[in-house]
Order: sequence, then C-alpha cells, then structure tokens
Amino acid sequence: MILNDIRRFSTSAFPEELRQAAWGEVLAKLLLTSQPVGATGAPPSGHVSACTSALGSVFVQLASTPQILLPHPANAYHTNGHAVLVLALQSGTARVSDAWQAAALGAGEILLLDPGQDWRIEFSSEFRAMLVRLESASFILRLVRTDVQELNRISTKSGVGTVCLNLLQSVADELGYIGRDELPLIEATLAELLVACLSRESQTEGSRTQDSPPLDPTSVQLGHLRRVCRTIESRLGNTELQIDEVARIEGLSARYVQKLFKVGGTRFSDYLRSRRLERCRMDLGNPALAHYSIAELCYRWGFGDAANFSRAFSARFGLSPKAYRAAPARNIDDQLRRGRPEQAGSPAPSKPDQAASAPESALRRQFRNLLDDHARYAIALSLAPKRATPASGDATRAPLPGHYYIPVSDKTVHWGYFSRDIKPVLSVDSGDIVTIETLTQHASDDCARMIEGDPGAESVFFWDAEKKAVDRRGAGPMDASLLGRGAGEGFGVHICTGPVYVRGAEPGDVLEIRILDILPRPSCHPDYAGRQFGSNAATWWGFHYNDLLTEPKKREVVTVYEIHNDCEKPHARAVYNFRWTPQTDPFGIRHDTIDYPGVPVDHSTIEKHYGVLEKAVVPVRPHFGVLAVAPGEPGIIDSIPPSYFGGNLDNWRATQGATLFLPVSAVGALFSVGDPHASQGDAEACGTAIECSLTGVFQLVLHKRAAIARSFLGELDYPFLDAPDEWVLQGLSFCNYLAELGVNAQTQVYKQSSLDAAMRDAFRKARHFLMKAHQLSEDEAISLISVAVDFGITQMVDGNLGVHAIIRKAIFPGFDDELGKPQ
Amino acid sequence: MDTHVCGPGCTHGVSAESEKEITEEFQVSRRTFMRDALAVGGGTLAASTLGMAMTPSAFAKSATPGSGMSSHYYIPAHANSVLWGYFSKSAKPVVEVESGDYATIETLTHHANDDAERMIRGDAGAESVFHWDAKKKGVDRRGAGPMDAKVGAGAGFGVHICTGPVYIKDAEPGDILEVRIIDVAPRPSANPAYKGKSFGSNAAAWWGFHYGDTLTEPKQREVITIYEVDATGERNWARAVYNYRWTPQTDPFGIVHSKIDYPGVPVDHKTISKNPNVLKNIRIPVRPHFGTIGLAPAEAEIVTSIPPNYTGGNIDNWRIGKGATIYFPVAVKGAMFSVGDPHASQGDSELCGTAIECSLTGTFQFILHKKASLPGTPLAELQYPLLETQDEWLLHGFSYANYLAELGPNAQSDIYGKSSVDRALRDAYHKMRHFLMTTQGLGEDEAISLMSIAVDFGITQVVDGNWGVHAVVKKSIFPARGG
Repeated sequence: MILNDIRRFSTSAFPEELRQAAWGEVLAKLLLTSQPVGATGAPPSGHVSACTSALGSVFVQLASTPQILLPHPANAYHTNGHAVLVLALQSGTARVSDAWQAAALGAGEILLLDPGQDWRIEFSSEFRAMLVRLESASFILRLVRTDVQELNRISTKSGVGTVCLNLLQSVADELGYIGRDELPLIEATLAELLVACLSRESQTEGSRTQDSPPLDPTSVQLGHLRRVCRTIESRLGNTELQIDEVARIEGLSARYVQKLFKVGGTRFSDYLRSRRLERCRMDLGNPALAHYSIAELCYRWGFGDAANFSRAFSARFGLSPKAYRAAPARNIDDQLRRGRPEQAGSPAPSKPDQAASAPESALRRQFRNLLDDHARYAIALSLAPKRATPASGDATRAPLPGHYYIPVSDKTVHWGYFSRDIKPVLSVDSGDIVTIETLTQHASDDCARMIEGDPGAESVFFWDAEKKAVDRRGAGPMDASLLGRGAGEGFGVHICTGPVYVRGAEPGDVLEIRILDILPRPSCHPDYAGRQFGSNAATWWGFHYNDLLTEPKKREVVTVYEIHNDCEKPHARAVYNFRWTPQTDPFGIRHDTIDYPGVPVDHSTIEKHYGVLEKAVVPVRPHFGVLAVAPGEPGIIDSIPPSYFGGNLDNWRATQGATLFLPVSAVGALFSVGDPHASQGDAEACGTAIECSLTGVFQLVLHKRAAIARSFLGELDYPFLDAPDEWVLQGLSFCNYLAELGVNAQTQVYKQSSLDAAMRDAFRKARHFLMKAHQLSEDEAISLISVAVDFGITQMVDGNLGVHAIIRKAIFPGFDDELGKPQ
Repeated sequence: MDTHVCGPGCTHGVSAESEKEITEEFQVSRRTFMRDALAVGGGTLAASTLGMAMTPSAFAKSATPGSGMSSHYYIPAHANSVLWGYFSKSAKPVVEVESGDYATIETLTHHANDDAERMIRGDAGAESVFHWDAKKKGVDRRGAGPMDAKVGAGAGFGVHICTGPVYIKDAEPGDILEVRIIDVAPRPSANPAYKGKSFGSNAAAWWGFHYGDTLTEPKQREVITIYEVDATGERNWARAVYNYRWTPQTDPFGIVHSKIDYPGVPVDHKTISKNPNVLKNIRIPVRPHFGTIGLAPAEAEIVTSIPPNYTGGNIDNWRIGKGATIYFPVAVKGAMFSVGDPHASQGDSELCGTAIECSLTGTFQFILHKKASLPGTPLAELQYPLLETQDEWLLHGFSYANYLAELGPNAQSDIYGKSSVDRALRDAYHKMRHFLMTTQGLGEDEAISLMSIAVDFGITQVVDGNWGVHAVVKKSIFPARGG
C-alpha cells in the first residue's frame, strides 16, 4: 500500500481546553474558521484526514459535531483570489447563507465557495464532508462570478455533477493511498469537472423560464464563448476546422460566434491560429517528441503547410520553430506565462484596434479574461503529467480509436512492483492507441548520457539528501526494515509506466497488446544530444556470478553501449565499462553491490575502460522486458519474477509488430510497461540486457470473456505472444508462482525455480495451444512439437525462470489468423 | 558389395572443374573462421588447404593417382559399413582418408522398420542392414550392452545406425578434425509404389519428455507418426501420412517388445491400427541434418551412441545440415568418424524422443588440423564440438561436458538419471565464454556482457540422456572478421 504523508488528526487526542485552538489550526489550512453553534459554546470535536498536494491544494476529509464554518478573517489579506473551496457534504445537513440569500444544503450536494467573500455554513447536526482547497483555480472563480449566483451549488442529481460527487467521495476514501505527487492529477480532473458543471448550470439557466430572475446578457454570452473555446480546443487537429462547424456544434450562428470573439478583441481565425501555435510550441519544447519532425508536429495541430506554420510561428514568438526547439522555454511557469494568448509584446493578431491604447472597456476585459483563462487552463491540462492529450481522433465519434500519450515522469510510474491497487494514469477504450514513454532503471549508471536534461528521466530519478521523487522502489517495506537498502528494498527494480485502465475490462477477459512501434529516447545532454545509450550490468543475480575465471571473483561490471539507429542495420557498440564500486546514495546508504535500483553512480569513484568490445557490433532488437497487467492477488508484487499476468518476461520477441495477449485479473486490466531493452540474447545470461529507455506505441484491444468462450483465448491463463511469423508460448518454472508457492512466494520463487520445470511448462502450453487453437489431437500435437517446435531459454535470471516454445506460422498454410475464434 | 565410383553423372567428381564447383559451393557458406584465425593468431594452418590424396580405399575412390586432387569416396550404407548403436575406437574403419578428402556417406534411420514397406523394401542397403530372420540378423550388435542381453544383442544401449568409421590418416589425440557438410539429400523410397518420395518416422517414445505427462488415456502410450518428404527436393516441407499406437511386437527371434526397447524391430502392420487423419494440412518445413555425428571417444572400448559427449555423437541439433562445418577434438588415433541418425526435421528440444527419422545421404569433406599447428589459432583449446553455419557459431553445452570421464565406470547408465537443462546451460555458458575469450580475444567481462545481450541459448534436446543446450552467436557481430 502506498501510505502517504497523510495528516490524521483527532480532537480527542487533545485536552479539552486546547481543542478549539487545534481545530482552528486545521481549518485555517482550508481558509476556514469555526464558531460554536448557539450559546452552549461547546468546542467542536472531530476527526480529520488531510493531504496537501505538490501544488499546495489541500484535501480534507472532515467528520465533526455541529458548528458554523466561516471564511477565515485573514482571507481578505492573504488570499489573492487564486484558491477556491469545494465542499461536498457526505452526511448531515447545513444551511448556507450570504449577504443576499440563504439555502439548505443536504447530503450529496456540492458547493463552490470563494474564500474571499462573506458567507457562513451552519451545520446543525453531526456531519461528514470532503473539503478541497483548490489552488490556482481562479478561472473557476471567474466562472462563478460571471454567473448569476454567488453561492454556487452544483447539481449532483445526474450527469457530470454526479461524477464530480463520486470523484470527491472516492478521493475521500483513498486519501491515504494517493501520493502527494498524484494529487495534482486529481486537482486537474476536479477543476475540469467543475468547469463542465458550471457550464452546464449556465446552460440550464439560459433556458430558464420567465419565473426566474432575468439573466444578465453578458453572462450568457460569456457562457457561449466558453463553450466555443472548449470545442475549438478539442478540434485543433482538424485542418479543415471552420467557424461554421464550431457554430453548428454549439447550436449558434456563425455570425454570433464571430461577434463573441470580436468583443474579446480578436477574431475566430486568429484565436484558432494562436491556439494551434501554442500547442505546437509546447510539443516543440517536449524532448519526448524529439523524434517527430517539425512538420509532423505542426500537422498534428492542424497546420496544413509547414512553411506557413514556420512563418506564423516566427511572427508570433520571435524565433523560428527550429530555433525554439533547440532552446525551448525551460519550465512550466515560463510556458504558462508565455502561453497566454494576450499577445502582449507580440504582433497583434488582428488589425490594430484604435481602442487598444485607450483603457479597455469593462466588457472587453471580461471577454478577454475568459479567453485568457481558457488558454491557460488548456495548457495547464496538457502539461499535467497524468493527463494524456488526445493527439487525434474525435471523442464524439466512436469508430476512430483515441490516441493518447503518456509521458514518463514521477507521476506516471510505479517502480519495482505491480499491484491491482495502483491508481491508473489513463483510462482508454478497447481499440485506443497509447504512446507510452518508458525509462530503464539503469539510466543512473551514467546520468550524463541517460538522465541529464531529460525532464521525464530527471523527475523520476530525482534524489537528493531530503527527497526522492519516487520513493518506493520495489515491493519490500517502505522503512527498509529487512535489508536497509531503501524504501521498497529493491524487491523489484523495473520502472513501469502506467497503469492504463481499459474500460470494461474484467477478470476473465483477455487483453491484447499490439506493439505498433518502438521509438528511441535520445539523450538530452548537450554533449550527447540526440544520441542513444544503454547500460548492461553483469550483476550478482546473473548466471555468471560465482562462476568467474578472473579475479576478483565477485565483481559486478557495467558496460555502457551506444545505439546507432541512423544506419541501414541499427546496432549497438560498447562505449566503456567499469567495475561497480560501493556507491553511497543521497540518503547516505552505501550500496556495495547493485542491490537497489536508481542509485546514481558517482563517476569519480569508478574507473572507466574504453575500447571494450571494440570490434563487436551488436544488432539491436528493441523490446520491452516488462509488459504486464495487474495481478489478481492483493498487495504489492515484486516486478522481477514473470508470471501468468506477464510482467518481466524478458523475451526480445516482444518487439515491434508483435502482439502480446494477457489474461485480465483486475478490473480495468491495468496495463503497465517498462524495462526497455535495446537488445538481449535468449537467456539474458549476465542479469540484464542493453537496458535502454524507449517509447512504445501500443494498441490495446479487449476481448470480453463471452466473445472468446470456448476458444484458445477463452482459456488463456498465461502470456501468449503472437509475432509476425511465429507464435511464442512462454513457459515458466512456476506458471503462477504466487498461487503455487503460498505466503512466501515472493521469496521462494528465487530458490525453487529450475529450467527443467520451465521446459515442462513450455511443453504443456505448446500442447495446449496446438490442441485448442488448431484442433490437433494430443498425439498430433506431441509429434508436431518434437519435429517442428523450437524451445529456447528466455531468461535464467528473473527468479521464475523462462523457457519459450516457438511455433512457426508457416506450418499452418492458409491459416487465416483468426486465432481464438472457434472454427 | 555395392560400391560407387564417381562418374559423369555424379555431382561430386574430381575433375578440375567439379573440384572447383564443390569448393565454390562450399564457399557460399564457408566460414571465415580459419582465415580470421590467421589474422588473430598469426599462426599457420598447414592442413587447412585441400590435401593431395592418392589413397587406396576399402571402397571406391575416384581420384586417379597423380591427379593432384582430393579423393572422393562413396560409402554406401550396408551391414558391413555400419556400427549400430555405439562408437568404438577399435572398430575396423570402412575407409581411410586424408585431410582434404571427400566422402559421400549413406545413412539409414534406425526407425525404418516402423514402416518397412516405405523405408526398406527394395532398398538393397537398407535390406542388408535390417535383415532379420529367425536365424540371423544383418547387424547383430545393436547397442553397447552385452551381446547376450534378453532384449537382443547389445541390449539397445544405443540405437543409431552409424555409417563408418572413417579413419583419418595422421589424426592423433590432440588434433582437431574439421568436417564440412557439403550436401545432404533424402534417400528415396525404393518401393515403386512410392517413387519420388522419401519417408520418415517420428516415435513419441517412452524416453520422450512428454511420456507420463499426457492428457488423454492411455497415459503410457507410444505413438509412431509416419511423414512423407519430397525426395526430389522440390517441396521443402514434410507432411504426416498416418500414425499408429505401438503394440507389442514380436521380433523374428521371438522376443516380445511391449515398448520400443530395441532398435530395428520390424513392426507387423497387421497388429497396428493406422489413423490416416493426422496433422491435416500441416506443412513441416524440412531441416535435413544428421542427429549423430562424431568421433570415437577414448574413455571406453565401446560407447553407447545415445548421450552426446565431447567428441560429438548424438548432438541432435538440426543446424548440423548442408553448409555447416563442425570441428571435433580428436581423441583416438585416426579420429574414427562416423555419422548416422539422419533427420528430415526436428525442433529444438526433440521433445517426444525422436525427430522425423528419415534416411539421408551426406557429402562431407574432412580437414585435419594437427596439434602442432593449433597454438595461436581459435582451435587451440577446443575441447568440445564447435558448429559453424553460414551466419552463426554454435557451441553445445551438455549436462556433463564429458560424462564418461565425470561419472566414472557406470557413466553409460548413470547419465540417464542425472541430466538437467540447468546443468546443460551452465556448460553452454562456460563454452561460450571460452569461445569468445579465446577466438575473439575478449576479456571475461566483455564476453559476459556480450553473452547477455547477443547470444541466444536454446534447448537442443531433453531426450538423449546427456541433455543439451546450445549457445548461438551471430558472426555478423564481428564484422571486422569478414562475417
């Protein structure tokens, strides 16, 4: 379990006279203060779980006695209007009032509050509530303020409001299991949902009957503009996007839409272009997209002509796309600031308005603010690490698969373990395509070549004396009470990106993972920019250890390879090697051997030998060592031993063009990928491959249990690899070691494995496949296996040893690849 | 005796032109290994050029004395040109050759009697080997066991019909014998009813990995599947013809074989039930090769043919086919090369106990590397069979690298209870490390890194007593060596 730095607080721990003060301290974080109800003056008692996000937002689960909550008196001075309070009442009742009105609030309702205004909430009974102080959410407040009511209640009876309530409720439940660094994702989602709710409210208001108070026409127009902006944002990639289409989608006239923009001081076409330029600029600054050409990136955002794009980009940002790419804005704040489409200091996108120098009218300012906020919000969303940006496809049309991108960062990885309890970073539908960045856990063997300057890698590997960005590495105890190596004890080492939740996936289904493409992850260090490196460590868990000829007998040797992709036959060549020396990690723990992943190697302590393997040219076989769905067993599972759910299969045939089928054991399947390899031999003798960060493009296809009943896939309870020319059945020493070895499975698997057992398992699986998928009798299958099926040693270093059986498809001429369908 | 003299119709003549042809054909797949050896070690390989042969032969030899060319011998499979089920340093050679000479050698599968109609009838060589009536067997000793064993002479301790031995002149312990496989061709059925076809048999036998681990009843069954191979070579795949379950067979001497416990027992097709609907529409790509190929070991007079060992033997690697070269350490005087156990196809692991056992004829060239010429060359320390194909080098690891030496006097029976894939992998790892360090001049750390990222370990077989794991390294990894 990921128990995070949650603050639990209970007034019962305090002497009675201190309770009011302690309670007040907690509420102050929420910009609230509390008063007793009535004259009794009994101080409130209650329980609080609180968690502060990396961005300063505060999530609080509150259960308490009757009291009155008010905005903190200091708010007027201290808040600068950036925070908004969200209150979801889970049980109990309250009465909420402000200067103009009062209303009752019941369980299941959500209220948005501006901490800078005057209001009071009186709880007349015991209550439970989820409270969120949402930072950097001023755009929501503007929405709130431009709407009719100052007290913003969100309808939770149906639609997005219900989702919003459910989200808050589940956040309350999971508060202990959501990392501080994961909270920003929830913030972003919550903000998005709230915006959607408010738009909905204003839409509803737009159709009010005459009984309702008259609407401010400006509010309605702002509501429309907001909707138009959202529609545009979701269709930036459509080169043909015209004002007519946007107007049609929103049920407005094109003339009216044009006018909305005009009031805001711009034009539809200018706005559209500035949004596209902005998205391109962000992509150009993203090193993870470095392998795309500038032309590809601009097409992605709807520019039909690269030259045209280049001119527009230069005009707007003052430098060419190429120049920008070479030296992009360094941090998110810069991007946010520069990302505002206010065009300050840049050529005016529309014809110079004479009024521009004059004080802006209040009306125009409102419209401009809205456009500004929208842009800022869109950028914030696209930068939020856990938000996958749809790169193409139209959400409103089902047949086109969505295409998502998961950048690697400390927010999108789990290091060294699998668990069905890990919160997904993305939800997709069957058929969707996901581009996923992965990092090798060996990158810290040579930080300069493999980490420095790469924001994703830097965020994952960050480790100084105070803080590790990804603390848990492995399935061991967080306090390292067993071996003292570090949090998680390195019982599992692979940096896995994900998990990806596949909607509709349930235990008993089968997830098909198509590996559409594998891309290199170039070095971002100026000295090595654009080149690609990997590390091969001959480690203590390798087959060779304890069986060396030369002294010292117990040594670990790391060889750094460079991958050459820009040639006819991509290959790897060794750059240098070094013997592992005891490394002291930033927390002061000494690692005499490679016993904990991601320990930065201090290159002043090692001796590099250049000229090793001078003549050897190793053909590359890029693949992912780890491809997994969540195990069905509870708890945290070591990422090293492969099992029925996939995991660390370490089979180099899991490469571009291959498809892996895995049996689903958890709701949503929860697909993760990691342990990228540039090349590996069958057996992975020395313990590792050329461990080299890669990005994969995967299509995830869900096979529901009912649809595959009575077929081979319907019976699949082990990983099955479908390569272009062959089928690969993966035998393991224990096909489900967790179930077979009992409570100590994660220890015993390392002791009890044998290749003989793996060979036995591979034979049985090959027989199963031939009998079930090809309707052979057992005798036929056995004869065929002996005369035409090749068995190889996948790996002998991952605890649960692997032997694979390779069945060539050519054996079945005319086989129509309708695998899994009963014939 | 049926002998052959290379004539106008023979593709392996020794005219200057045909000699050139053979050399060129071989060059296609010829390794650069030895050439590199020169580059690396700076040594010379006196014997690696084509030899000058003027040798009298037990069989025909086609070289004319004084022609200055290598000799080409033809060794038909015949009762008196085979050893059945064993190697022996003391066996009488069928031919003596010199380094550089060629030999075309017929080999027979010991499973031919599973369907004598298709695989023996009308074939004089096969008939002479398999002959067995109430009084006499064409080849009495079958295996390295006692001659008075109840199950039959030699006890079936070793089953492969090995043609040879070929005596290589001047070969002495410590030398290396290089055997180049110039050509491999299926042996057509001599039965007119099956003209243009060859046949093979696959027996899922009691020594198979699957035995006792079957899903359907009866659990302990042996099943023979007969395969058809295109003898003309047009079709590069085999297909199943029928299968049948082994029933107790009574041999001509009256011994009942309730299991496949003795090689060459004729199967009475009246006692079996043939199932023709087997592996329909399935095409098995052929990989013609010799399962058993090797030299006589020094450790014992007579050694079972089943477990492979440091001098080769029943390696059962399908890569030992046309275009491949295999290097053996010579353990006894004359090397005593023999070859048998021909397979039309086999998968890595040979899981059910046998491959498509199918008679083949191979053409080999023998090149002797004298011990004195070895220092400084990649072959200097070769203690195990090294296989070289067009693109790869392969080393064969066994559970016991030299089981005869390691397991003592009862080695030939103890080995069956002691094998494991894990051990064989250990041996393959040792051999590959040795190979990379000695032949490629790598340091140990370099060799180990390379082994993890670029060497593939596969399971050769798990059915021959001394289990095998091979390590494959691509030659192209060392382009500087002209690969």
